[in-house]
Amino acid sequence: MTIRVLDPSFEESISTVVTPKRLKSLTGSSIGLLDNGKPNSREFFDHIEQILRSEYAVANVLRFEKPDSSRPAPADMIAAVSRCDAVISGVGD
Amino acid sequence: MTDAFAVNEFYHAKGWTDGLPIVPPTEERVSECLDAAGFAPGDIIGIEQVRQRPIIAEKAAINAVLAGCLPAYMPVVVAVLDAMCDAQYNLHGTSASTGGAAPFIVVNGPVRTLIGMNATHNVLGNGNRANATIGRAIRLVLINVLGVIPGEMDRSTLGHPGKFTFCIAEDEEDSPWTPLAQEREIPEGQSAVTVMAAGAPRQIMNEWTADPEQILETFAAEMRHNMLTYSVWAGNYVLVIPKQLRDLLVAAGWQKRDIREYIFRSARVIRSDWAKIGKANIVDRSGGPMQEFTALKEPSDLLIVAAGGPAGGFGAVIPPWLGSKARAVTKPIDL
Repeated sequence: MTIRVLDPSFEESISTVVTPKRLKSLTGSSIGLLDNGKPNSREFFDHIEQILRSEYAVANVLRFEKPDSSRPAPADMIAAVSRCDAVISGVGD
Repeated sequence: MTDAFAVNEFYHAKGWTDGLPIVPPTEERVSECLDAAGFAPGDIIGIEQVRQRPIIAEKAAINAVLAGCLPAYMPVVVAVLDAMCDAQYNLHGTSASTGGAAPFIVVNGPVRTLIGMNATHNVLGNGNRANATIGRAIRLVLINVLGVIPGEMDRSTLGHPGKFTFCIAEDEEDSPWTPLAQEREIPEGQSAVTVMAAGAPRQIMNEWTADPEQILETFAAEMRHNMLTYSVWAGNYVLVIPKQLRDLLVAAGWQKRDIREYIFRSARVIRSDWAKIGKANIVDRSGGPMQEFTALKEPSDLLIVAAGGPAGGFGAVIPPWLGSKARAVTKPIDL
């Protein structure tokens, strides 16, 4: 006797995801820092910003702080973030 | 697969369980579940908003069978998933959070007796198939369909036992109070679920008074304790009130509305209270030592459920995941 059973897991309908091209260099670039707004995340990103500016010659560091750490960033914030050359999203706690 | 043991081992190997054995989800059984809820396999029950991931009816039914549900439970499972996809529930945040919340489910209306749910002895514990497997089906959908896997999307530091299952019925037959669902705009005679992301139940006991205010003061104290030791933010709290204390409140003429008003006034702390429980460092922040916090933003934030065995002056406070960042959601069950 055999039992035929079904797959309980989510099956992606899209099989390939295209990731953006990596930057060749950070020099002169605009980098977005997306902070989830939890305790200590601001200090963490202050440190990242300082490294980006002093060691990688990043031209602009744009800071964004989510109004609610447990929900997605608002659409206008996502739109602003997407105008950067690259984004670092991070959490504090 | 050769037999149910092989299926069980295969599903464990794939990570498709909560750690307990599963029932093989055969096409026939899955089809019976879909029929019981009136769904076609490809129907969408709801969409998790952050990842935009749909919960397809067939996948929900497969997980309900895995959990051990009878087909007759499926309409309840569907209603719970529908409620959890409401933006107010904050499905992604509550599932991924380090806070380790679980969906706490209260079922009201005729479906409770139709499928034999438990609302009395050991109501927050084991023993009833419908209570146990409906809650478990929801957990398995979270794991298998939404990827809420511990250490992956589920970042819970501790979690709690309600993450296996956390589903009760209200004891409508043995309570003169308005059932929870009817207080939340569901018509009488209509079955419904109420779901909220919740911490573990905090049990209280007061068998030394018949005075309603003193009884409720014990519940309020537990809420204050939760505010101080866990999270101070106001949101939905649930009080589960079993028969012994319920009878005393009823005898004194107290309705759910009176209880809500009392708890709203009493379940408050001030910032300086934190000095007593190891959080002195935050006493002087923000509004200073006399800054007051309420457990409820308004009295209607309190959900009162008549449930539990007949003997014992016990009760339970079920706290919210994180204040009002996630709200209790009530949805009708289509039978």
